[in-house]
Parts: sequence; C-alpha cells; structure tokens
Amino acid sequence: MLRIGDVRVPVCHGTTRRCFLQAGAAGLAGLSLPGVLSLEAAGAVDAQKAAIRNCITIFLVGSPGHLDTWDMKPDAPAEIRGKFKPINTNVAGIQICEHFPLMARMMDKVALIRSLHHKTGASHENGQRWMMTGHEFNADSMKPHSGSVISKVFGSRGTLPASVILPGKIGNTGAGPLHGQTAAFLGSAHEPFVLGSDPARSDFKVADLATPPGQTEFRINARRDLLKQLDDVQRQAETDSALSRDTAYSRAFNLLTSPEAKQAFDLNQEPDKLRDRYGRNTLGQSCLMARRLIERGSRYVTVNHFDTVFGISCWDMHADGNTLNNTYDDYERLLCPQFDWAFTALIDDLDQRGLLKETVVCVLSEMGRTPTINPRGGRDHHTTAWTNFMAGGPIRGGQVIGSTDKTGARPHNNPIEPPQILASIYHAMGIDLETTMLPGPGSRPIRLVDAEPIEQLFS
Amino acid sequence: MDQRFEGTPRAEIRLDGRKVTRGDVANDWGSQLVWEVRRDGHVVATVPARASDSYQINDATPGQYEVVLQLFNYDGYEKDKDGKFTKSKFVEVSNKVTCVIG
Repeated sequence: MLRIGDVRVPVCHGTTRRCFLQAGAAGLAGLSLPGVLSLEAAGAVDAQKAAIRNCITIFLVGSPGHLDTWDMKPDAPAEIRGKFKPINTNVAGIQICEHFPLMARMMDKVALIRSLHHKTGASHENGQRWMMTGHEFNADSMKPHSGSVISKVFGSRGTLPASVILPGKIGNTGAGPLHGQTAAFLGSAHEPFVLGSDPARSDFKVADLATPPGQTEFRINARRDLLKQLDDVQRQAETDSALSRDTAYSRAFNLLTSPEAKQAFDLNQEPDKLRDRYGRNTLGQSCLMARRLIERGSRYVTVNHFDTVFGISCWDMHADGNTLNNTYDDYERLLCPQFDWAFTALIDDLDQRGLLKETVVCVLSEMGRTPTINPRGGRDHHTTAWTNFMAGGPIRGGQVIGSTDKTGARPHNNPIEPPQILASIYHAMGIDLETTMLPGPGSRPIRLVDAEPIEQLFS
Repeated sequence: MDQRFEGTPRAEIRLDGRKVTRGDVANDWGSQLVWEVRRDGHVVATVPARASDSYQINDATPGQYEVVLQLFNYDGYEKDKDGKFTKSKFVEVSNKVTCVIG
C-alpha cells in the first residue's frame, strides 16, 4: 500500500480492476483518478516483481510481399512464386528468400509468424493502426500506440523518453493522417518522442535537443521555474490534461538539459566499424540508435523503415510506373540487403551486449502482398495473409507459427490477428494482461489489448 | 524522408590463385554488394558478396579475368519502362584484381 495524503492506495503490478475500484473510492475521498495514475507513471508499477523487458519494433512501411521474402512458395506457378529463390536457414525445414543470407544464419533466434491477417480494408493506414495499437480503428475512440502503452505502464527509466520513434513518424501513405502513432487518450506525457531527422546524415542533429540560439542553460532553467509556478496554480484543478502537460514539460526540459540524452543520440560515439556493420543508411543507423536508447533507458523504440510510400524506393511494390513504382529491383538491390544487414547487426549487437535476452525485437508490417503478380510485374495490397516475426526476450526462435495455403492467399492453419501480436509483445515485456489495465476514455479501466499472447512463441 | 547515401564506401580485395578475398567495406551503405567478374573486358558474372568474404573463379574458359567489388548506390527510385533503375546504379568500391586462365 502507498499513502497519498490520508488515503491508502494499493500498488500492484499494473493497475488491476480492483485497484480501479479502490481508486474510484479514493476519488470519493478526495483523491482524483489522475492522482492515482500519476503514481503509476512515476514508477509505482512493481518493477521488482516482473521481468520487465524492452522492445524494438522495426516497422516495414509499405508491406513486403510475403511470397518474395519470408513465406516463399517455390512450387507455385511462376506468376505466384515470383523471381526470387528460397535458401535454407540454420534451422532445418525453414527457408527464406535468397536475399536474406545473413538472417538465414540466425533463424534459430527468430520466430516467423506466417498466418497473420486482418479483416479490414487493404489500406496502409488500417494495417498501421492494427499493428501499432492492436485495435481496429475507431475515429471516435482513438487507441494509443504500443510505445505509449508501455510508457504508461512502466514509466521512464532516467531522463530518456520511455517511447521513441525513429527516424520519424509515418506520414502520407495514401488514406489519411491517422497511423496509430500517438498516445491518444493516454495524454501528451506518453506521446512517443520523435527523432525527426535522419541519423545517417552527416549533418544529423536532434532538433529537440539543440538549445535554441541565444538560450543559455540558465535561461532555460529560469523558464522552467516560471512554468512550474504557473503549473502549480493550474494543478489545483488537477485535471488529466494538467498532469499530463506537467509530465510532458518535465520530460522536455530534462531532455533539453541532460548530457545523458545528448550522448544517447550521438552515434559518433560508436566505432566506425560498428556503424558500417549496421549500414550507413537511414534504417541501419536508426537500428543502432535504437540499441543505444534501449541501453540507456528507453523502453520501447519504433523504427519506421520509411515514412511514406510515394516517390521513394520502399516495400510497396506496385510497379505502377508512377510514384508507386517499386519493383523486384528495389527488393533485390536495396530493400532486402539493407534490411538483412541492419536486422542481423541489431540482433548480433544486442546479443553480444547481453541485451537480447531482455529486449524483444519485432519486425512488423501493415499487410502482405497479392499472391498473383500484377500485369506490371508488381504485387498489390493483401490483408488476408502475411508474415511478420519476433526475436529476443523470452521468444523461442527457430520456429514457424502458422502457415498459408498453397498460394499464400490465406492462413492454412493457426490464423493470427494483429491484436495477438501486440498481446505477445506486452506479455514478452513482462506485463500480466489479466491484471494490468489502462485508464480508458472517461477513466474507465480497459485492457491493453483484447487478445491473448500467442502461446507457441513462448513454449 | 528519402534516403541519401553519403561518404565513399571502400574495400580492399586480394587474389590468391583463383580465390578473391575481400575485407570489410568501410562506410558500407548496406545495399546489395556483388562481385563483378569480367573476362576479356566483358561481364560474365555478378555474384552476391554479402554472405561470403571470398569468391572462387571456377570458370575454365581461357581469358583474362578481372574482379571488382560493387555496391548499389541508391540515388532515387526512378525507373525506365522496364522497371529498371535509371539514376541508381552499382558503383565500384574496391581495387581490381586480374588473373589469366588458360
């Protein structure tokens, strides 16, 4: 039990339904729910009891064709199997695309999930919202990004933000501005920190960590003190938004003045050889930065491989001859090699530092791509089957979960839906989904996600 | 944000008999890395070079063979009507080694 003023408040792993009932009673006694929840944000979750792990998610914006990558069908007709060949991995019976030769050597660390599917429309945004939040999109009830959920449940360690998005948020992918990368009802204190620049560039700077011209640390601190006084007045009302803003301000000031934060984002402190091993490109250097952030206190880092699908080389292989003109050449020359190089560097690096056992690494995408190659030589959106994968933490590698039919059109067995992936991530990070609740809209306690973890991942 | 590759990748390769061995690529862009093999000036093979740091010239056809390491340089997604890159292309990132067979 904790005591807040005259009120005793239960402290547990997460916030249980019972806690919420008791918190409601505390509210009657004069303590608001935000007050109770701020305890949780301050670390009241019992970190000693659970094996809390971290998570790095690599999100492949655009969606790789599953038949060209991790669910190949070499016996299917040419218009389905595509031009790439499968290769053996270091796990008997598991094959992947020839353009992932390094990943093939560490398949014993990876669990492929080949039967993912969702039932909503085949837009990038639908898939992003499913995979970022674990919930079906509802404009009237936006759901928080998984990193924001982790920020809420575990809080921060040190000065670094609990949740970070690298290198930037997803932007225009065709069907609206909502991609599931906000804190939603959890409030601004749990918004992911967005890097907002390319760590692979020689002129890279974290805009939010650069002191504005003419501002000394003294002036920044003076402004913080003034702001605190104003907030103290405002906090009398003790509303959700006031508390949330308070935490967000603190976080911003801490980041701005913290040498640790500046160091965490400084890739020049890494040996050149290691930077080369990740790849001197946006994905590679973002993955390296993800490791640095996890190492120094962030809980959940999302690496977006691309922020749009238009006018760039990305996974969205329509081959449309226009701004969505990605082809097999993009996969072979750039995307597969770049991913193979960065992903395997990350896994190796985490492993060598002893961090892999406490870091869950997920590679996710919005959907798969059509089994039949279109007349232009590309593949289009396909939501009824695709492959994502997980490694690290308690995930048992060297296995394939689920399968698709002969053409990769639909799950053949053990169909998996996006909420199960999020449930598995939370479970792997040490969260008890039965007892840990979020303060939903109107402060109603809600489950983190309406699904159970995929048992096979952990057995 | 579109990617922009910076710096100049560089690797050293050496020939030992018919076996060509490479060192690590400094300033590695992480894109496709291949051995380009020429015989008497004509390209006869491009072989993936990521998974292995060596390449064996097994061709028995007589001629002068030249091997160099190439890395794909992404400079935009633009393609021609056949879907091939127009601006992005492979660039040489190593010294060349030569040997005569036959």
